[in-house]
Amino acid sequence: MAERQLTQVLTQLKSSASTLSYSDASSLLSKAKLLLLQLNALTPTATQNPQLLVLARETYEQGALASIRAKNSEAFTRYVSQLSGFYELPADILPPNPQERNKVTGLYLLLLLTLGRYDEFHSELEALHVRQGVDVEGDKYLGYPIKLERWLMEGSYDRVWKAMKKGEVPCEEYSVFSEVLTGQIRTEIARSSERAYPSLPLSSTKSLLFLDSEGAVVEFARSRGWLVKDGQIIFPSTIAAEGAEGEEAQGEDDKQEMSQMVIENALGYARTLETIV
Amino acid sequence: MPGKTPDKEPVENGGYRGGKDIDMKDNDLKPKGKKSVKDGDDEMTVVVPPSKAAQKQSSAPPPNDADGDVAMDDVDKADEGDVKVDPVVQAISDIKSNFALLERAVVLFDARFSLRALRSISSLRKRLTPEILAQVISETYSTSSSSSHVAKQLLAAIGQSEMPLGRSWAPEMEIDSEPKAPAKNGAKKESSKENKDVIPEIDVFLGILTQVLLYDNKQFRQGFEHSRYLSDRIQSLNRRSLDSLSAKVYFYYSLFAEQLKPLPPSPQSPIVSIRPTLLAALRTAVLRKDIDTQASVIVLLLRNYLLTSHIAQADLLVSHTQFPENAANNQVARFLYYLGRIRAIQLRYTEAHEHLTAATRKAPSSACALGFSQTATKLLLVVELLMGDIPDRATFRQPTMELSLKPYFLLVQAVRVGNLEDFETAIADHADTFRRDGTYTLILRLRQNVIKTGIRMMSLSYSRISLRDICIRLHLGSEESAEYIVAKAIRDGVIEATLDRERGFMKSKEVGDVYATREPGEAFHDRIRACLALHDESVKAMRFPMNQHRLELKNAQEAREREREMAKEIQDGDLDEDDLGGEFEGM
Repeated sequence: MAERQLTQVLTQLKSSASTLSYSDASSLLSKAKLLLLQLNALTPTATQNPQLLVLARETYEQGALASIRAKNSEAFTRYVSQLSGFYELPADILPPNPQERNKVTGLYLLLLLTLGRYDEFHSELEALHVRQGVDVEGDKYLGYPIKLERWLMEGSYDRVWKAMKKGEVPCEEYSVFSEVLTGQIRTEIARSSERAYPSLPLSSTKSLLFLDSEGAVVEFARSRGWLVKDGQIIFPSTIAAEGAEGEEAQGEDDKQEMSQMVIENALGYARTLETIV
Repeated sequence: MPGKTPDKEPVENGGYRGGKDIDMKDNDLKPKGKKSVKDGDDEMTVVVPPSKAAQKQSSAPPPNDADGDVAMDDVDKADEGDVKVDPVVQAISDIKSNFALLERAVVLFDARFSLRALRSISSLRKRLTPEILAQVISETYSTSSSSSHVAKQLLAAIGQSEMPLGRSWAPEMEIDSEPKAPAKNGAKKESSKENKDVIPEIDVFLGILTQVLLYDNKQFRQGFEHSRYLSDRIQSLNRRSLDSLSAKVYFYYSLFAEQLKPLPPSPQSPIVSIRPTLLAALRTAVLRKDIDTQASVIVLLLRNYLLTSHIAQADLLVSHTQFPENAANNQVARFLYYLGRIRAIQLRYTEAHEHLTAATRKAPSSACALGFSQTATKLLLVVELLMGDIPDRATFRQPTMELSLKPYFLLVQAVRVGNLEDFETAIADHADTFRRDGTYTLILRLRQNVIKTGIRMMSLSYSRISLRDICIRLHLGSEESAEYIVAKAIRDGVIEATLDRERGFMKSKEVGDVYATREPGEAFHDRIRACLALHDESVKAMRFPMNQHRLELKNAQEAREREREMAKEIQDGDLDEDDLGGEFEGM
């Protein structure tokens, strides 16, 4: 009885996934989870009925996708950790559904990437490479975050930008992250530009930062504290460099600090040598 | 207390290293499929030349009583005369000589004696056969109730597969052992004269020998069952004198688990199922301050987690446990290696580098631990590359490493020159090697380093270069990519340059004098610090003979008496100040 109800809820969830509002989806999900609890299938065990396990897994997968659509990263992470138990089960107990699994894992990777948690990203990646029978880079869901990470690391921001455009994203849930990523790469570019260019013309900054209009450029420049003069953006670091006096004083400071370090070290060596001899 | 004489120490150290190294090799060579050594073990029941050296080594540790001398003679005779019989007798007596050590360990409550017994395993290992072990077992145990149960278990573990052999041999065996103690699998009710109880340490020691034997004969399933029984028994026995032995038991337990199907990367591997046992063992070991077990179980758990790529769990384990400071050197080396691996995966390269350097340095330099140092060196090389350093050329020239490091050498070359094409081909050609070494994902991260090096080369050779040229030279996708990449390189401090967007070129800044910066001073300081640390460590590692402090105490007592005398004499006015000074300096 409860099982049939659960199947109903799930089909409802799946069929209207994109149109459902988050509150509706979550009420459906909590209903599904209650049913799971009645069936005693909330957590996976090897002895359970395989059909039930499949249902439970699907519930969590739908939950994960729904929470991503609602940009609720905490709920998503919770679903992912609940799912991990199901994914660890051997294939003869729970027949795997690689597509959904890769989708969820890919989203999780992307989430870690946007949050800047690179260590977890790479730990997860390492686990993927051990997973058998998966072409990690060839998979459209898994390959996407990996490619993005590589481009972000080497600095090919234009490729990241292109990859985030409509049609390039493997599925609609992935585009949720585009906004975050755009902001992220824009800051990255801005920080590099500050160091790399002495000045930039407004018109080309627009394309550099993937902004829509020059007005947006001016606004962005202001938010980062850049100086806009005669259609040129002048970066504050170059202004500081012009004030050569300040730098000299700093050089003096540096020297003093350095000699102090050398003296300290030498004294340290002498002391230790004495204890040795 | 039969104190060790100082001149015996080196021998023991040598034996110690040899003993642990074999395990290390097993541990680390396996993934690479170098089975030649182990295959040799199976056929080495009656090999003479290697066993001669091994026997000498093993007969050195037993205390200098008559037994040891006789054993020595036996070896020599074995070489000259009848080879076929003597090795068996020799092996049996060698095994039994360890019992004395174990008994002494219990009586004196000194773990070093059991360590010594454990060390001899490596030399016994080559000569171990089910027959020898069975004979030892049946000769050792009397019919007293508890021990015979243990012995039965042991015999079952080795006897199963040797059914035909065991049967033909059993009657003969009974005749052999009848005068001493009735074989337990024979007449059980007979009461023996020397009804001495066998201490549990000997049970466990024989259990370990059984583990070794089963492992060498590749009877992994049986070994696994036997180990489980053995570890349960250790936990129920709860004796402190078992500590160092139990470390060994867990070690083999987890080795067996790794060999069972489904093999490790799969989440259903038996290694997952032994985790609770290991964790429980760790908890008990920590509570009892049992350093040996603690160290080896931590290492085993880390290995366990890494095999199934549970990096997060491994990291948590490291952060929640404290690795014992004075653990055995080999365990420390292993621990550092695994730690370095975790850190490398987490992009904490500086820490990874530190741990891995220490691991390669601590790795025993003898040939039998070659597998470990090779594996550690490979990982170290990749981490160095990731940090932007170019590894030393000399590393690749070591004769023992040259062949296995070849793929890494090609990789380093590509990174050093900054040639993306060479890099891609090196990865494609050796992908399988890298995968097997578990460095593949790390190597994939190197791509950005190659690009950065390429840009640095460009910046050094040209004072001004167009972005289009950079794009063509480095095989980047487009000019825009090139621009972003160069900008990032400038921000990361890889190069000193500026970009001109309107005209599309990169202009390099004049390179400053490195010697005017603090860098050389820092490098110098680092090296000095390393030397000082080395000195400190070697001072700490020094061992002193047991009773030396008593001697000193005695000296101190004498000195005090002399002083008192002197004080008395001064009081009497017999001695003047100069004499006194001289006396003190003499002391």
